[in-house]
Amino acid sequence: MNRPPHRAFSVGRIAAITGNTFTELTRLKVFYVLLLFALVLIGSSIFMAKLTFQQEFQVMKDIALGAMSIFTSLLAVVATARLLPQDIDDRTIYAILAKPVLRIEYLLGRLLGVLLLLAISIIAMSALFFLVLAIREQAVLSETVRQMSSAPSEQMADGLRGIRASVFSASLLPGIAIIYLKACLLASLTLFVSTFASTTIFTTVVMAFVYFIGHLQEIAREYWLQTDSAGWMTKLFLALVALLFPDLQLFNLTDDIVAGNAIPLALFAKTATLGIFYTGFYLLLAWSVFFRKEL
Amino acid sequence: MTDLPRRSEAKEGPAVAVIGVTKLFSVPFQRRPVVAVRDLNLQVSSGQIYGLLGPNGSGKSTTLKIILGLVPPTTGMAQIFGRDSNSVASREAVGFLPESPYFYKYLTGEETLRFHGKLCGLRGAALKNRVGELLALVGLTNAGNRRLGGYSKGMLQRIGLAQALVHDPALLVLDEPTAGVDPAGARGIRDLILGLKQRGITVLLSSHLLGQVQEICDRVGILANGVLVREGALDDLLGIENQTELILENASPEMIAEFKAFVSQHGARLIDRGRPRTSLERIFLEATQDQTREDAP
Repeated sequence: MNRPPHRAFSVGRIAAITGNTFTELTRLKVFYVLLLFALVLIGSSIFMAKLTFQQEFQVMKDIALGAMSIFTSLLAVVATARLLPQDIDDRTIYAILAKPVLRIEYLLGRLLGVLLLLAISIIAMSALFFLVLAIREQAVLSETVRQMSSAPSEQMADGLRGIRASVFSASLLPGIAIIYLKACLLASLTLFVSTFASTTIFTTVVMAFVYFIGHLQEIAREYWLQTDSAGWMTKLFLALVALLFPDLQLFNLTDDIVAGNAIPLALFAKTATLGIFYTGFYLLLAWSVFFRKEL
Repeated sequence: MTDLPRRSEAKEGPAVAVIGVTKLFSVPFQRRPVVAVRDLNLQVSSGQIYGLLGPNGSGKSTTLKIILGLVPPTTGMAQIFGRDSNSVASREAVGFLPESPYFYKYLTGEETLRFHGKLCGLRGAALKNRVGELLALVGLTNAGNRRLGGYSKGMLQRIGLAQALVHDPALLVLDEPTAGVDPAGARGIRDLILGLKQRGITVLLSSHLLGQVQEICDRVGILANGVLVREGALDDLLGIENQTELILENASPEMIAEFKAFVSQHGARLIDRGRPRTSLERIFLEATQDQTREDAP
């Protein structure tokens, strides 16, 4: 039998593990979370019929982006937390690592599988969100045309322009991209925690703490540092917290998007770079622990 | 079951060399570490079937993991065909079947083999052919499209063997290959191992089922509390030098009496006589196979 020569680092091996991870998560029916998202979106749009169209679209964006952020974060943590402990419990990891597979290839493949799942999920959620927005936009436009049928054409054109402007804004896509990067960061951090955690539950609980600390640390930092009495101990503690936990509030750009403000390119680039950096950094940390782990 | 192609690359020197290996595991809240393996030296020559025996907790699985580079030794080193086990490249030549493997339940048998083949660099038509060959080899061609979640224990062991062979390794490491498998399944796996030996594949297996090891192994090592207490060729360990065994068929009582007298005349001693017994396993296999034939439409 002709076997290809061994490669020190192989994209093919990583792709095989990525594909397998994606298949695993798909067959575990994690995409059901999308159904929940659809229910939240459609359900919430029913209760907004009584609002003005500006309010309606603002609230709809607020709810949809918030739900997207929560569901992708949840998916990132839950999908990643089980991968490593389960492979060790079931001994499937032995058959994989007894083959010429580097441990970093295994980790990278596992993480990329989750990131692929997250990408497809967020694309599906965005498509659903845009569809609901477009349907509501059409309904509001038709209603406005009917109500303003006797108004001068210029006034009607202004009104319709105003509606269109309040539905789709240029900041939606970058905002969704940042939500995705936040989920990537959480998946990578979860993978890191799972390299030293022995159970899925432990990893999930730790990640729940990390999630809340990550969202609250900015508020806590501002409050403590504003007081004059903040001593070196407080500052040291805050620096440690900032070093260990990512500031997840930085990835929350929903307020700007809902208000219809454009996200400055510099802010988007800075936040995206931070997300990519954290994702890579936690992967390296995971590898540093997993490299020496006795299986 | 069909033929497996012989390993294409001939290997020289010992297939496995374990040199002065000691492995200590630290235990939380205890000062003294647990000694899993102590100053272990062993060699497995190419083409042999080597049995690593020992009770539960004797260090068999730890030794195999050290050989496979899954666990680093505290002191000493292990080599596979002269390459340090810690190097990933050394695993090119090894296939491993872990004890009671579960694999991914959501994959079919065919998908499992394809996945493991891809990990070994196989692609396209070569991979497809290899998967078909291996499914036939382990007798799972008809179950190849079924998910592993629905496989029996014996089928899981067989698909485990197939994934270990996917890259045509020169060395096969099997951790308790027949654990939990019924006698017919165990017989199948045993025949498969013997077939692999004939094709030049070296097999290192761990087991505590002594009867099976005795049937197939060329050489054995016995581990107790992490120490290799006996080691050698099976014939040397089992043979009693000054005794000879004869089995006669259709011997009359008169002939046996004459034979006994003849033995005495020549200064030898007849130690035991009786009817040779068949094994319970053989009776079980014959009975279940007969029943299966009767039940077949």
